[in-house]
Amino acid sequence: MSQKRKEDPSEFSPLARLFLWADDPVKVNRMVYGLYAVCVLLFLADFVYLKTILVSAERIPGFYAIYGFVMCAALVICARMMRVVLKRPDRYYAPRDVESEPHPAADLDRIEHNG
Amino acid sequence: MADIFPVAFLYFLGAALLLLLPKGPARGSLGLLIPVLGGIMVWFLPEGLLWNVRFLGLELEFMRVDKLSRVFAVIFSIAAFLGNLYAWHVRDTMQQVAAMIYAGSAIGALFAGDLITLFLFWEGTAMASVFLIWARRTEGAYHTGMRYLIVQVGSGVLLLAGAALYHRETGSLTFEAMTLGSLATWFIFLAFGIKAAFPLLHNWLQDAYPAATVTGTVILSTFTTKLAIYALARGFAGTELLIYIGAIMTLFPIFYAVIENDLRRVLAYSLNNQLGFMVVGIGIGTELALNGAVAHAFAHILYKGLLFMSMGAVLFRTGTAKGSELGGLYKTMPLTMIFCVVGAASISGFPLFSGFVTKSLVLSASTKEQYYFIWFVLLFASAGVFHHSGIKIPYFAFFAHDSGLRPKEAPKHMLLAMGIAAALSIAIGVYPAPLYALLPFEVKYVNYTTPHVVTQLQLLFFSALAFAVLMRTHTYPPELKSVNLDTDWAYRRFLPRMINRVAPGLWSVWTAKLNFWQERFNDLVRSLHHTHGPEGRLASVWPTGSMVLWIAVLLAVTLVANFLSL
Repeated sequence: MSQKRKEDPSEFSPLARLFLWADDPVKVNRMVYGLYAVCVLLFLADFVYLKTILVSAERIPGFYAIYGFVMCAALVICARMMRVVLKRPDRYYAPRDVESEPHPAADLDRIEHNG
Repeated sequence: MADIFPVAFLYFLGAALLLLLPKGPARGSLGLLIPVLGGIMVWFLPEGLLWNVRFLGLELEFMRVDKLSRVFAVIFSIAAFLGNLYAWHVRDTMQQVAAMIYAGSAIGALFAGDLITLFLFWEGTAMASVFLIWARRTEGAYHTGMRYLIVQVGSGVLLLAGAALYHRETGSLTFEAMTLGSLATWFIFLAFGIKAAFPLLHNWLQDAYPAATVTGTVILSTFTTKLAIYALARGFAGTELLIYIGAIMTLFPIFYAVIENDLRRVLAYSLNNQLGFMVVGIGIGTELALNGAVAHAFAHILYKGLLFMSMGAVLFRTGTAKGSELGGLYKTMPLTMIFCVVGAASISGFPLFSGFVTKSLVLSASTKEQYYFIWFVLLFASAGVFHHSGIKIPYFAFFAHDSGLRPKEAPKHMLLAMGIAAALSIAIGVYPAPLYALLPFEVKYVNYTTPHVVTQLQLLFFSALAFAVLMRTHTYPPELKSVNLDTDWAYRRFLPRMINRVAPGLWSVWTAKLNFWQERFNDLVRSLHHTHGPEGRLASVWPTGSMVLWIAVLLAVTLVANFLSL
């Protein structure tokens, strides 16, 4: 497939063009700042409604936010460490495994966009 | 007596009719018609025992209908319809027939009123489903299918052994609530546990599902594991052990999902994690928890099928589902991307999507019954599933770095199947009442409260924040071409290696022993031949009468034996 040719965005469907910001680092940055802003607002939202406390940890302001962030970061860092021990080349179980096999063409229909 | 034609047989009939029809739209239409007819039958079935047969002195209950079996049968029918719609383009008879028999067997098992009928359909699902893996027709798929089949049939054998022991213990074969304790119930529990992918028994799932064909994986993702969830709900509801098993199930797969490269295998890990929520619900066993488990299974079949469909469509068009090879596909497959995001939002439990209104029943039950530690685990697992299924799957397939791949959008029938699954996932999230009405018990749970919505959004957005921060600091593990060792390493690598190492030694000891005893035996025969053979010294003095004497002795012994036995 032609990798680096200059593309004309009008080749894509109008729906796809709505997401072209994903290729623009400036706009992606803006989205990330937007995410930060939403997170701040959600954290603050904790102070404006009446909580129903079922578990005592819920008394901590922003408990769900802190828990979500910390646990997800821990999850990724742990998984990264697991990879050091568990990672093997993709031919490790070959030939008794599909991992290193190409998917058979008979099961596919590979067509290029506008192809 | 049969009051009604069993739904499973409708599918088997459909499988036979498929063979008579030419490949193409006619077969495709039959593949859609059978689940529709089956679905209508399931909907209107009266409750109760509708068909039982006496066979070899056993009372087999082929059709026992109640709310629990009906709700599963409804979603199995929808899934069979969507799976066949997604597979409209398939011209492979093997896959079409296998999918039909597989769906039929799974539905048959739901209505099985006794353990023998359950066993028959249980094995039916195993036998039929393996062909969806073999249909890939590669050496790797053949071996993977074999491993899958051994595990699945193993589960069936345990179930049969358990059923036989259960019959001896209780004199009954009825499939109803059991208490763990005896060998029989443990066997049955383990049989269910294998199919439900309990920890350490789980790896057949991640091994086999990504090895099936594009459409095969979608169909596989529905039936086997959720049949096991149904069986656990009927047989072992309220078994406390299940709470802890389920909690572990929700946890460990998410670590693997983060580092897995094959996105269909990531989904297989997250499937395992979702089963954990259901198993916890069954373990808690209250009305709320069981409703949660069943509702979550219902929603899960739709959004997990949807996610597998979207990754299948990517594989169908690009030839790969590996995160390391993909990226930037949103440009040419925007609809597939949007459907994938709907599936991702549903599995993550975003408000207005199906996971939000089903998973919360289980979480709520865990606090109500004061399993606070479990609640923390489930909350972590909810955040984790958003991380790997909610963000990772759509991000690495459709965004991330541009792979340069510009495949055509998925074919129309695939888009339609994904569209229906997406619409249903949103519909359940927005208006769960019709689903709640199908559940085994009355639901008195209000989902859309301010605290519930805000806390769920906090959890999810801060998980997304963690993802964003980790990506921008390059801490997030990149997608790499690799395999990660899981428990299957024990039987795929360690045991064969050990056997290879130990076998030559054992073999040489065996042959040495054998040779030794063979020599002794030969010596004995030689010496007997020497003394008693034709040329033997002792043979030359045997009177002919000695044979007559021995016959007489034999006769006498026989007579005495006969006399004594009288």
